[in-house]
Amino acid sequence: MPKERPEHQIKIMITQVSDSLYSQLIKTYGENLPSAEPRSLDEIRKQAFERFKRVGFPTVKHEDWKYTNVQPLVNQHYELDVEPSFAAIDLNNAGIPRLDAYRVVLVDGKYHAGLSDDVSDVPGLSIMPIDQAFERLCFAKYFAQFADKTDNPFVALNTAAFTSGLFIEVGKNTQLSKPVHIIHVSAARQPVFNQVRNLYVMSAFAEAEIVESFITDDAAERNLNNLVTEIMVREQAKLQHYYLQTATSQSSYLNHTEIYQEKHSLYNNYNCTFPGPAFVRNNINVRLGDSEVESHLYGITLTAGNQLVDNHTIVDHLKPHCESYEWYKNITQDTSTAVFNGKIFVRTDAQKTNAFQQNNNMLIGEKSAVYTKPQLEIFADDVKCSHGCTIGQFDNDALFYLQARGISEAQARILLVHAFAFDVTSRFANATVREYVEHLVEEGL
Amino acid sequence: MSTKDDELLKELALEEYKYGFTTDIEMDIAPKGLTEDTVRLISAKKNEPEWLLEWRLKALRHFLQMDMPTWQNFEHPDVDFQDISYYAAPKAKPQLNSMDEVDPELISTFEKLGIPLNEQKVLAGVVAVDAVFDSVSVKTTFREKLKEQGVIFSSFGEAVQEHPELVRQYLGSVVPQTDNIYAALNSAVFSDGSFVYIPKGVHCPMELSTYFRINAENTGQFERTLIIADEGAYVSYLEGCTAPMRDENQLHAAVVELVALKDAEIKYSTVQNWYPGDKDGKGGIYNFVTKRGICKGDNSKISWTQVETGSAITWKYPGVILKGDHSVGEFYSVALTRNKQLADTGTKMIHLGKNTRSKIVSKGISAGVSHNSYRGLVKIGPGAENSRNFTQCDSLLIGDRCGAHTFPYIENRNKTATLEHEATTSKIGEDQLFYLTQRGIDPEKAVGLIVNGYAKEVLNQLPMEFAVEAQKLLAISLEGSVG
Repeated sequence: MPKERPEHQIKIMITQVSDSLYSQLIKTYGENLPSAEPRSLDEIRKQAFERFKRVGFPTVKHEDWKYTNVQPLVNQHYELDVEPSFAAIDLNNAGIPRLDAYRVVLVDGKYHAGLSDDVSDVPGLSIMPIDQAFERLCFAKYFAQFADKTDNPFVALNTAAFTSGLFIEVGKNTQLSKPVHIIHVSAARQPVFNQVRNLYVMSAFAEAEIVESFITDDAAERNLNNLVTEIMVREQAKLQHYYLQTATSQSSYLNHTEIYQEKHSLYNNYNCTFPGPAFVRNNINVRLGDSEVESHLYGITLTAGNQLVDNHTIVDHLKPHCESYEWYKNITQDTSTAVFNGKIFVRTDAQKTNAFQQNNNMLIGEKSAVYTKPQLEIFADDVKCSHGCTIGQFDNDALFYLQARGISEAQARILLVHAFAFDVTSRFANATVREYVEHLVEEGL
Repeated sequence: MSTKDDELLKELALEEYKYGFTTDIEMDIAPKGLTEDTVRLISAKKNEPEWLLEWRLKALRHFLQMDMPTWQNFEHPDVDFQDISYYAAPKAKPQLNSMDEVDPELISTFEKLGIPLNEQKVLAGVVAVDAVFDSVSVKTTFREKLKEQGVIFSSFGEAVQEHPELVRQYLGSVVPQTDNIYAALNSAVFSDGSFVYIPKGVHCPMELSTYFRINAENTGQFERTLIIADEGAYVSYLEGCTAPMRDENQLHAAVVELVALKDAEIKYSTVQNWYPGDKDGKGGIYNFVTKRGICKGDNSKISWTQVETGSAITWKYPGVILKGDHSVGEFYSVALTRNKQLADTGTKMIHLGKNTRSKIVSKGISAGVSHNSYRGLVKIGPGAENSRNFTQCDSLLIGDRCGAHTFPYIENRNKTATLEHEATTSKIGEDQLFYLTQRGIDPEKAVGLIVNGYAKEVLNQLPMEFAVEAQKLLAISLEGSVG
């Protein structure tokens, strides 16, 4: 007797946001993209929307959303798919000092050619708005192949109704000399619900760094962003992937990232969230689809004010001889809430798996809360898996030690948080990004 | 895996359940089905006061409205609640005052299980036993001796008659009728169980123990245990359970409530060896139990120790509500699953008082095609200043078709709390095995040694006599397993 959501509740939720979403969808199919989209995509969208309609927006009764209530967010009014005003976009907030990168700017999900670097002459690198990639071979091959297998209703909604996004392909044997810096700007002057869909393909033997910054324009109205990124890391390819969440309280994010890795590949994700955005839910799922694959997930979450930051990760060991390493650190201040849910799956016959997961929390705020659920599900015996989790606060002895040596209390606290974060920041492959993140940690305290 | 190992694994799978016999005894069994009439029948049979009947009926109404949860890590079997008989008792006899009046068939049953009901036969009188056969308690030993100290140790039914004020005050105060679907069911139809009250400042002079035995077919067992330790009291309590081998599944849905007042300590140990079903997963007991204690007063302590080797499905989370300041909750568990057994077990530690401490040590061992899950909740309330939790849950895998799963929920809302959680999953180390076999210890004994060492931290918490028993039980259950 599974607990069904009462019928009327579903209806209410759909009328609130998705009723207008639904009509928007009809419009999208009917007018905007009649011939640009291949038939197969229409079908995928239709099916995804059916899936979404069946489950609706999740409530806290749903195990995956137990600590994260999206109802207040989805019960507000939003415009769908507004034409972005490209005028006067200030990118200073996303500037990473001394970072030499190929810059790509997405304003409310839409590619901004004027602010983005032209990469057409970079061999082996193609970057384009996702709607221009529909005809590409690898788009057909990978789009909606991974993320849509999860039961996240926001992915289904995104697949059904995304309006913008980015496609990146790094060609075979291409090693990019500079990182790609993607800047997501929320700038709309009216309340907006953005649905952004990205697909990154790392071809065999390719190597790249992708840095994604999230910022809010000063004049922006409140906005809810539903992002889905699918990443294919092919044989022997290497991808370093950074998320730097520095938006303001006007912005809320549902950010789903689905990574599929092939033989001998490496994927590293560095997920950093700082004081600002009111609501952030990250889903980062890595599927280790072949043997001898390595994945690292690092996270640093520093929250303040009334923020809620929820990081859900899945590391899915499908094949033997793989290694995964996950380390998330949360620091909660004021009345903020941090949620961590890390799942490690080791499937039957994925022998010789090494999986490690650690989650450390510093609960500093008088009224802040930490909810964490490090979870292991293991179906093979010849494996080494461990997880650890701690929740604590400032060590008074350490504070005293530093103060006794003439360091002010505020400075001592910064030092200690710095040291706490060091386990994670020291793993950053890119020194420039590391410095920037360390600076943001200091600033956020 | 070598062929030798395979053979040993096969042996392990075929290891017989030695408590699988049935007792042929005249029974009084209620007709199948669950309605208000069933509840009234049970209540009438037990000659219960009106308030208790009302309490049961309220629980039944809740039960009928509740849905089966879906979050558990196993497929919930279809249980037809109308196809179960909710009351089974050996044919009624007048009040039992001496051993001679107990049915000799029952005495021999419990003797076969190694539970002496005859006080003279018990060495030095260190353990008092309440023996529960199907739905009712058949004999409680050493009652008189305990009475001298003011300790009340009786069947639940007797307690309702003799100490209704205590029962009324505490029944359902830790596990409310509405807590979960099986607690609601139990509240509606519970037939008997044990009741313990330790008065102020009394250190209970002997171990108290309840022995549960399911015998009748097509019945469920729904017993209820209530233990109250008044200020400064101490009691150590142990329960054991077995059932005959049958092809159909039987439901066991018990509720245990512990109340520790100021400075009191309750130590509750379980050696659970219900019939686990055969190697194909046929038959066995569904062990769906709600166990919870409350550290009501300051400086109180509740400690759960469990050794789980039986049952087709084990589903329980003995928990502690740490309400009193400076109170302590502990949970030690060894859960062994093999063949097609499933276990989803763990604990809940709810910190409410200041300076409360909890410690969780859980050791899971899975063999065959079984699945063993640890699910634990550590919750720190906003007022639980300086509370402390340490959790360790380890899993050992024997064979490549079993599963070990960990679902720890950690919720902290206080900035002065410190929590630690660690978990590991691995198989028996080849180097450890090699070390032992190289010294002339055969692989089977070596595995036993390693597992016993692995579980030692938990077994050490058991009262002496039962630690030996539990060690033997683990060894038997593990016989011939080499990973």
